[in-house]
Amino acid sequence: MTVQHRNNVHVEGDGPATMFFAHGFGCDQNMWRLLAPVYSQRFRTVRFDLTGSGASDLTAYDPVKYDSLHGYAEDINEIVAEFGRGPSLFVGHSVSAMIGMLANVAKPERYAAQIMIGPSPCYINDGAYVGGFNRGDIDGLLSTLESNYLGWSSTMAPVIMGTPERPDLSMELTNSFCRTDPAIAKQFARVTFLSDVRATLPELAAPTLILQCSDDVIAPVAVGTYMHRVLPRSTLTIIENVGHCPHLSSPSSSAAAIDAFLASEGF
Amino acid sequence: MFCDWLGYAPADLAGTRRLQDLLSMGGRIFHQTHWAPLLRMQGSVSEVKLELVHADGTRLPMVLNAVRRPHAGGYVHDIAAFVARDRDRYEQELLLSRKRLEELHAVTRDRAQFAEQMIGIVSHDLRNPLGTIRIAAEVLAGVGDKTCDRVAPRIVRAVERANRLISELLDFAQARVGSGLAVSIAPVDVHRAAAQIVDDLQGAHPTRRLVHQATGPGDCELDENRLSQLIGNLVGNAVAYGAAATPITVVTAVTDDAVAVSVHNLGAPIPPAIIGGIFEPMTRGTTEHSQARSVGLGLYIVREIAKAHGGRASVTSTADAGTTFTVAMPRRRAVTEPAPP
Repeated sequence: MTVQHRNNVHVEGDGPATMFFAHGFGCDQNMWRLLAPVYSQRFRTVRFDLTGSGASDLTAYDPVKYDSLHGYAEDINEIVAEFGRGPSLFVGHSVSAMIGMLANVAKPERYAAQIMIGPSPCYINDGAYVGGFNRGDIDGLLSTLESNYLGWSSTMAPVIMGTPERPDLSMELTNSFCRTDPAIAKQFARVTFLSDVRATLPELAAPTLILQCSDDVIAPVAVGTYMHRVLPRSTLTIIENVGHCPHLSSPSSSAAAIDAFLASEGF
Repeated sequence: MFCDWLGYAPADLAGTRRLQDLLSMGGRIFHQTHWAPLLRMQGSVSEVKLELVHADGTRLPMVLNAVRRPHAGGYVHDIAAFVARDRDRYEQELLLSRKRLEELHAVTRDRAQFAEQMIGIVSHDLRNPLGTIRIAAEVLAGVGDKTCDRVAPRIVRAVERANRLISELLDFAQARVGSGLAVSIAPVDVHRAAAQIVDDLQGAHPTRRLVHQATGPGDCELDENRLSQLIGNLVGNAVAYGAAATPITVVTAVTDDAVAVSVHNLGAPIPPAIIGGIFEPMTRGTTEHSQARSVGLGLYIVREIAKAHGGRASVTSTADAGTTFTVAMPRRRAVTEPAPP
């Protein structure tokens, strides 16, 4: 089994550095469809699906390995080792921002910078720390996932449906972006929302951009300011955006913030 | 209507509350991680079930469908919602049943593993004292005492029977509660192998005449040790239940893609009442037979050996034609095994 097959890796463009794009919990690498092409003009860009998500090889999903974010971080370092040319710039959304941080801390020599979109080191409130959720909220999410298979089925046949109003999607599978094996989705949700990697933040030596949305229920601004305070070399940029996916809803302001950060780091 | 469902006046919601503000916290996460990206990427979301929070704080399950369409320079989302209380209750029941089944399954699996381990341990631990008894009996046989000469061979035969029983118990445990009978399939000349097995069995049953007949080419792929066990069990039964002073015929017949091994004896037919379940464990041909040599696992193991080779075991029994047990198996190992990683 190759890393390319396991994580459905797609490489585009060329340039002096390699930019990796890691999607968060919920959907797959299609989340980068508006942002990644902007950078494939300047860099080698690498998009992929986390093991268990999207079109990754589900047979590679090992419930023991992926019972912690470190299992995913191992995969990231394998992807970076195989597909990186020159310095690596890691763009991670949501939980993948933290997975990228763990990968970076394990192999810091490979990374030039981290770009975190809507990151949170801990989703659960803990004393003075405001993560935004309590344990019961996460249980609510798990039962919501149990009720919503989004077209996933164990006997799934690739049904291709046209979406006339979006011709660019006509050859893709409807609902497939967020379609995940329910058992995997549930475990990934638990691993994501019950993770607490606050203790690792001070170990991240690389320059880091925290790209925060002004109104994001998943990663409130308080979480962004907390991370900015604790990370050794971070820039906090808050963009006007409602929701958790600025790379989809505000791609140009997201790119502007990333460009400014990259320029300050000499890219 | 929507406002009534949730206990609000229209003015409480219109222009002030967003859909996600009405969701439970778990629903809000789902909204952000699934709903919103889907709506942006494919322009629609269908059949999503979420809990909305009523003005009084209770939860109302709803199924929501949404379409995103351009409107006045921006986008609007048309949402169709319906109450899904019944579906929710039904789902809760299903989830509960699944959980119960998973728990039951875990208990059953643990018990089966325990039983298998017990049989394994007991069988293994019984072999050691039996080995000692056998050696002692052989020592007694060499003493030259008349009583010893008479008793020692009986002890040896009893030990052999006990060892056979232990092997059967181990196979039974493996086939019944474990991962299935283990076979190691390799190329073998089935006619030559069967001839040797029949020859050995003739030595063990000197009072009966054993005949081996072979048809077709001999080269096959099967487990030679299991073949020996299979023929041994069937011949043992034929000796025990067949008419004395009549021959027992072992046939190995090979065609292009199949190999059939059959054992025939004359004598009283198997009673119709038990022939249907003859391959089930703990079934015996007759109850009064004092020479019955096992607890009734022999035919069960024959069937499991057939299964492990991708074949099947069958029996025909009449007063005139006698009794024939046949095991039919593919001549070559099926290529359905998963490819190596």
